[in-house]
Amino acid sequence: MSRRHPLRRFPSALMAWRNLGRNRVRTALATLGILIGVVAIASLGMATAAIQQQATANLEGLSNEVTVSAGPDNPNDGISAEQVDDIERLAGDATVVPERSNVTTLSARNGAETRVRVTALTKADTMYNISRGRISNRFRSGALLSQADARRLGIEIGDPVTYDGKLYRIQGILSSSQGLGGQRRVLVLPLSAMSDQNYYDSVTVLAEPGQSVEALTADIESSFNTADEDIIRVRNFASVQQNVGSFLGTLRLGLLGIGSISLVVASVAILNVMLMSTVERRGEIGVLRAVGITRGEVLRMILTEAVFLGVIGGVLGVVVSAGIGVVLFEFLVGSPLNAFRWQSVQYLLYGMVFAVAASSISGLYPAWKAANERPVEALRD
Amino acid sequence: MSVIVLEDAIKRYQTGGEVIEALASVNFRADRGEMVTIIGPSGSGKSTLLNMIGLLDTPTAGRVRLNGRDVTDFSTDELTEERRSDIGFVFQDYHLLPMLTATENVELPTMWDTEVDRRDRAVELLNRVGLSDRLTHKPPQLSGGQRQRVAIARALVNEPDVLLADEPTGNLDQDTGATILDELTRLKESENIAIVAVTHDEQLVEYSDRIVELVDGSINT
Repeated sequence: MSRRHPLRRFPSALMAWRNLGRNRVRTALATLGILIGVVAIASLGMATAAIQQQATANLEGLSNEVTVSAGPDNPNDGISAEQVDDIERLAGDATVVPERSNVTTLSARNGAETRVRVTALTKADTMYNISRGRISNRFRSGALLSQADARRLGIEIGDPVTYDGKLYRIQGILSSSQGLGGQRRVLVLPLSAMSDQNYYDSVTVLAEPGQSVEALTADIESSFNTADEDIIRVRNFASVQQNVGSFLGTLRLGLLGIGSISLVVASVAILNVMLMSTVERRGEIGVLRAVGITRGEVLRMILTEAVFLGVIGGVLGVVVSAGIGVVLFEFLVGSPLNAFRWQSVQYLLYGMVFAVAASSISGLYPAWKAANERPVEALRD
Repeated sequence: MSVIVLEDAIKRYQTGGEVIEALASVNFRADRGEMVTIIGPSGSGKSTLLNMIGLLDTPTAGRVRLNGRDVTDFSTDELTEERRSDIGFVFQDYHLLPMLTATENVELPTMWDTEVDRRDRAVELLNRVGLSDRLTHKPPQLSGGQRQRVAIARALVNEPDVLLADEPTGNLDQDTGATILDELTRLKESENIAIVAVTHDEQLVEYSDRIVELVDGSINT
């Protein structure tokens, strides 16, 4: 007694499987087409997810900031101490950091020079992260320098820098990533370094969790400005975040569109393969019809072949894309396992669904054509 | 009662502006246990007649009866069902599916009937045609005579009332042809079926109970 094939209960599947096995090269190439389409969709989708995650992480540091600077109608050349008091009153629990800024040239012992922005403030610890050294919480002495400049000038912790004729010792080196709006090249000094300036160049309000940045912005703005007088300028990064968000959305759609094109190409390839193989098997399908296989059964058999191509290509494509996703997330975000969060893993699902849908649609016409061929004509030649 | 009856069957084809009459008012019948052979020169309408008997084609005019039922006006799907349940086909070129084993080829006509398992009958039929040691072989591994015997087993798997054979010995040598014809004669009696064959083969004519000669679409009596 011969062993029964496991697919015996699903005759369309059994026949489709056997038929695909007849021309392995053709099957492999059709599968490869689908695989590439799925990889295109899934990896482009996952790439945008990775970029999105990275951008969100960067913007998160800025999302609680409100920046106040002098407006065009301000009588003074900056924000006055009284205005800072007003802002502090309005800000409630939020941390208010007024700062003065300037530009200077730093020179190293070896003669290298670099121009940097100088900012003088208190509470430096609320504004900056350091990679080495420390920030004293009062920040009355010492200085912080951005990593790029420290490297360029060969400055180490404890080395002195000169600003306006006064020496400051470097206490800490800022970490290189300060978010999208972070200062890339800056020398941070205590507020006293610019005590000759009467006004502050900007005031940063750091909202506490739960405090609405939008409301804070509106409060500050309305208490200083009138309809036709802009005493101060108030900015927050919520709108930046929104813009970046909508840009990434557009980017994602564009990339997915490109990915879908490759899947459309792949499904045309399947259409071609299925048409060719049904034309080749014309006589055979005629025999099936003659011996009593119905049109519906022939249709299902051929459609199943196309779906198998889609499923095999889709599964392989998903496996390859998952690998690509892990690599992408490793490089863009730094945590490869984030590739398996829904935000990015959803694109594997879309790729799979697209693959099966595209191949089924491509199989429809060849299947219909083969099923409706009159057996008499198919058997004649 | 005759298994299959054609009454005044006419078949006309439209080719270009011309109407060709392939069959002109043909009356035909085949009974259980007999082998009827249709002979005639090529172009005489033999294939058209066989297609009509096999419910693969419908007449332009006239009636077709299968087991007493008028099936002339059956739909495509109804005719397919009739072929599946009552008719077996044997072709000159065997027409086996190369990717299926001998047993699976025999099961083919009933493969989609998942509720009935014809595996045992398929194996039994292959035993009967002397292929018990070729059950899992695929057609390319079989000789012409073996393939035709698989095809005969396939034609019988649905327990048909009529078996149609289109040049069943056409691709076989004399001896193999004789074995196949012996086989058919035996099955005709053991299964009590009507066999309708179309041939040029003199040898096959010798095995026939009745000869029908077609000339220009008409039966020569």
